[in-house]
Amino acid sequence: MKDNITSSTRNLPYWSQALLENWGRLRRNPTGRLGLILLLAFALMAAGSFIPPLVSPIYNPMHGVDPVISHTSGPSLKHWLGTDFIGRDIFSQLLAGARVAFMVGITAAFMSVVLGVAVGILAGYAGGWIDTILMRTADMIMVMPTLLVVLMAAALFGQLSIWTIVAMIALFRWPGVSRVIRAQTLSLKQRPFIEAARIAGASHVRIMTRHLLPNVLPLALLYMTFRVTSAIIIEAALAFLGFGDPTTVSWGMMLQWVWKTGHMFQAPYWLLPPGICISLLTLSFYMLARAMDEILDPRLRRQGES
Amino acid sequence: MSLKRYILRRLVEMAIIFWIIQTVLFFLFHLAPGDPLSRMVDPGMTHEEEMALIEQLGLHEPLGTQYLYFLGNFFRGRFGISFHYGQPVARIIAQRLPNTILLFTTAVILSALAGTWLGKLISWRKENRVDKLVTTGALVCHTLFLPWIAMLLLWFGAFKLGWFPVNGMISPELWVLPRTTILEKAVDITWHMVLPMATLFLIHFGSYLLIMRSSMLDTLTEDYIFTARAKGLPEKIIRDRHAAPNARLPVVTSVGLSLAFSINGGALTETVFSWPGIGRELVFAVSNNDYPLALGCFLLIAVVVLTANLVVDILYGYLDPRIRY
Amino acid sequence: MDGRAKIIRTMFLKWPLKKVVLLLVPAIAAVLSTGCHDNKSNLLRIGLASEPKTLNVWLASDASSRAVLRLIYHPLYVRDPKTLDFVPWLAESRPLYDPAGKTYTIGLRQARWSDGHPLTSADVAFTVKLIKEFKTPGWSRWKYVSKVETPDQRTVVFHLKKNFATFLSRTLQIVILPAHKWRAVARAARRTQKPLATLMRYKNENPLSSGPFVMKQWRKGAYIHLAPNPYFFGRHKIIAGHRMGPLIKGVLFKFYGTTDVAMLALRKGELDMYWQHIQPGYMDILENTPHVKIINSPKSALYFMGFNTRRPPFDDVALRRAVEVLVDKHFIVERLLQGQGSEMWSIIPEGNRRWYNPHLPRPGEGLNREQRIRKAYQILSAAGYRWQKPPLDADGKIIARPGDLLTPGGDPLKPFTILTPPADYDPARAISGTMIQEWLREIGMPAKARPMEFGALIQQVKVRRNFDAFILGYGRLPLDPDYMRSLFHSRNDRPRGWNMSGYHNPEFDRLATAAQREMNPRKRRKLVFAMQSIIAADVPYLPLYLPTLNQAVRTDRFSGWVSMLDGIGNRWSFCLLREVEGAP
Repeated sequence: MKDNITSSTRNLPYWSQALLENWGRLRRNPTGRLGLILLLAFALMAAGSFIPPLVSPIYNPMHGVDPVISHTSGPSLKHWLGTDFIGRDIFSQLLAGARVAFMVGITAAFMSVVLGVAVGILAGYAGGWIDTILMRTADMIMVMPTLLVVLMAAALFGQLSIWTIVAMIALFRWPGVSRVIRAQTLSLKQRPFIEAARIAGASHVRIMTRHLLPNVLPLALLYMTFRVTSAIIIEAALAFLGFGDPTTVSWGMMLQWVWKTGHMFQAPYWLLPPGICISLLTLSFYMLARAMDEILDPRLRRQGES
Repeated sequence: MSLKRYILRRLVEMAIIFWIIQTVLFFLFHLAPGDPLSRMVDPGMTHEEEMALIEQLGLHEPLGTQYLYFLGNFFRGRFGISFHYGQPVARIIAQRLPNTILLFTTAVILSALAGTWLGKLISWRKENRVDKLVTTGALVCHTLFLPWIAMLLLWFGAFKLGWFPVNGMISPELWVLPRTTILEKAVDITWHMVLPMATLFLIHFGSYLLIMRSSMLDTLTEDYIFTARAKGLPEKIIRDRHAAPNARLPVVTSVGLSLAFSINGGALTETVFSWPGIGRELVFAVSNNDYPLALGCFLLIAVVVLTANLVVDILYGYLDPRIRY
Repeated sequence: MDGRAKIIRTMFLKWPLKKVVLLLVPAIAAVLSTGCHDNKSNLLRIGLASEPKTLNVWLASDASSRAVLRLIYHPLYVRDPKTLDFVPWLAESRPLYDPAGKTYTIGLRQARWSDGHPLTSADVAFTVKLIKEFKTPGWSRWKYVSKVETPDQRTVVFHLKKNFATFLSRTLQIVILPAHKWRAVARAARRTQKPLATLMRYKNENPLSSGPFVMKQWRKGAYIHLAPNPYFFGRHKIIAGHRMGPLIKGVLFKFYGTTDVAMLALRKGELDMYWQHIQPGYMDILENTPHVKIINSPKSALYFMGFNTRRPPFDDVALRRAVEVLVDKHFIVERLLQGQGSEMWSIIPEGNRRWYNPHLPRPGEGLNREQRIRKAYQILSAAGYRWQKPPLDADGKIIARPGDLLTPGGDPLKPFTILTPPADYDPARAISGTMIQEWLREIGMPAKARPMEFGALIQQVKVRRNFDAFILGYGRLPLDPDYMRSLFHSRNDRPRGWNMSGYHNPEFDRLATAAQREMNPRKRRKLVFAMQSIIAADVPYLPLYLPTLNQAVRTDRFSGWVSMLDGIGNRWSFCLLREVEGAP
């Protein structure tokens, strides 16, 4: 096991060593590898979403309409996946949807994990009433079903922009992270190296950022991967119910169009792609997360390698 | 700390949390820009008529007064009156809730049974090709996008095959006939439940399987399993009598919580299948600016989730003596 | 493991799996065997888009509730399906009024409520009293009625303070309620703090009917079942040349959340009629389904773009006229409505022949994009607008991206927003907004379309009045043109007032007030024409399109639908529908 760590990484701080080491394991884990490959495909789609509108304005996912086709039509050379009810290209919508999904998933997950880690470390390290207040708040937020809360906000405050939705998802998804991080912090606090740092005169902020943070980072990363899936699903569900950002083309929005304009039974070429994409993208993040979980959980790892 | 004191403390905490949620939601609703009257008025209605309506609905009062009214009524068991239906919120919820409970309890229990059963079998074949296949299958099921799979099932089951009804909970044609028996009605409901239940089954089943499998794998490292093996007991007995009962613990927790959160997913399933449940009602209330009803549904969900959390925590203590409060 | 835990474990964890399976198998078999049972019945099955919210007339503002209530409660006069003139319904004949138009005498038919109780002038007087006393929605139309007299059981006399042209067409359009049932409700409501709210919350689960059908059962969340009313006054009578029924065994209202599902039900024969407008996407597939027919009916509606004339930039009529030219109504009708509608040129729909002014100008009709830009360019430059880079180059050719539009004062035009309902509420309106945004940008107007939740949009436009432009529609426009007065009279420019544009024109106000009181139809028509000309010239509202109403029915079980304004779901249809002979 030790020989995985090359001499170059030996000079790096402990946590980046750990990350590199885990990255290596991740690539060798079959689930993780499959997840990574899928993810790469979707990343390519997202990157490719800029191309169709450049080819012709009729491929603009939101307001490009085909000059001839004015209703939904099946796949053709001109429209690889067909057109929607007013003659917009489904393929370019699908690509744009990939971009939105990544944007939403990763930003929301990142924000919620940052928040969760900050709260978790603070609560675990400070203890006392700070801990109580923070954890009670976390409990309170945890019982709120995120989808319904965001849905309600979307309905109440008119249409939310995609960034507001992202922020709201982040705001309601941190408690789970902070609970775990807090537990981890509590156990780390008992370790000698924290005690040593404190005796050496390190400030609280320094201990939290330099000593605690690096050690909870792998766990935070794991949680972030899980959060990406849930953020994507929440955004898609919201858009599906008609409460998404009306100015973006997301997969959930596409499904809503199929459904609301009444093409569910008539246009399988329009119904299938967005759903497959949402499911596969969440699957790929989920697989990645599970692979990471296996790697980080030493007991399972031991079993796997024995 | 004794169990009684623990429960008492948790109840007080729950009450506080509930009150905070209630207050936040109340103000959120009343400060929001949406106009509950927007769907009641047409150009035939004059200014003074509209003002009269506002006054009658109590929307002209200062926010603080409205809040106090709301709290006062709430503790007297009056949860408000829906703008849309003109009926007490409690009555509307009481009409919709049983439908939701029926659908979700059945679906969750069935998928938990199937999931634990398969998870148990699979865990015994760890690192086998069947295990890989089933685990991947479960993963795929678990990450399926719910409304999409619901639409797909509808497309397949109701449209392509034409076997199942397209929506709702009962066939009115059957129910209006005076000679329809209870059994026929029950069968009719079951028939309507097949597609929504299949959707929920697919989604939940995968996660139960995965939980059961990993829980079984954990259990297998326990000492008593070694002891059982050392005694030379048959594998089947070890699996079913020793490992499985303990491994089901996390599934129980998960079942409890997913029942509580079912209203969340219910919003989607019920909307697609036009199932007259609480989730669909909530989406409807929210899009109609029917604040009292939306607030009522939401508070109900909060109560259910809070209670489920408490019950699961207590149950955990019972089931796993190692946990102390 | 201690004993307690063991018990709980057995309770919760030892699922009798085999027993469950054993129980399930026959259940599933039973479901499958009877699942496809043939549950055809001889009821007329109608699909509604949502469950009616109530059967209390004072609260019913949604289409579904109205659909059901229409068969239960009835007015004194209804419109003839062809001529749209008033036909005596609960009334016996046309009203008699004195030359000054201040006293109306109306005789009633011999009619009964569904409980056998006679329907008398007391019911009419009670209904009016209820409206005036409780100030129910629509009460202000009754402010000018000073007295209702009931000289005998079948005569009602209305005394007006002033004469009103709208008395018959607007004020008298109320449904009559059974006094003997509502009197107690009113008495109870009167005693509460908020009488109107209490009245509106009355459940009215089993309304007494004066119409062809009566309530049988309402299973919440599933269906409403109406049975024929044995006491219906019109049975076997000839009214407006039709022999009245009802000839069918009953009506079953079913609720469908989405059109898709309803369409499938229609095609599978589980539905005889779908009340809702059918989107163009279904046309082909429905037309190819045997026994399914689509019936087109005209609609009295107005879909329009409104401007805030209180503040820049749309306080300038030249800018509004330029927008009018730039908006391609033809595109909207052909593309967004897929041809299922027509372009609108006046606030009054063309189908409303009595009041529609056919001589209005039609700016921009039939122009292509280039011609539109040129025309708008002319209008704007004549009004003193300039460009950082004009949309026409030195050779008079149109350039793709002109510079920003500059106001006559020389400042760039401030960006403005066009508010629309969200796409799921009405895709046509939301996408119209985006298209109009693109069209306006072609001439350098900094337009931005913004879909907004419906309630929030109304709040913004009607209550806060903080907006630049919006796209909205009235789906049920009255036939009487008096609504023009509510929309543009300066008195209605106030928070929650209907003059959302903030339009002020003393000449219009004068005409509108005069038209409301003009009893001579020809003179009134002239006034209404003049009002339309003023609005067309000043463009506070830009009328966009009028969708056609398409409803689908099955022809294999019932026939005799009557198509008229606002669809086939009218009282005539239900009185005339009959079963097809040899129907399955």
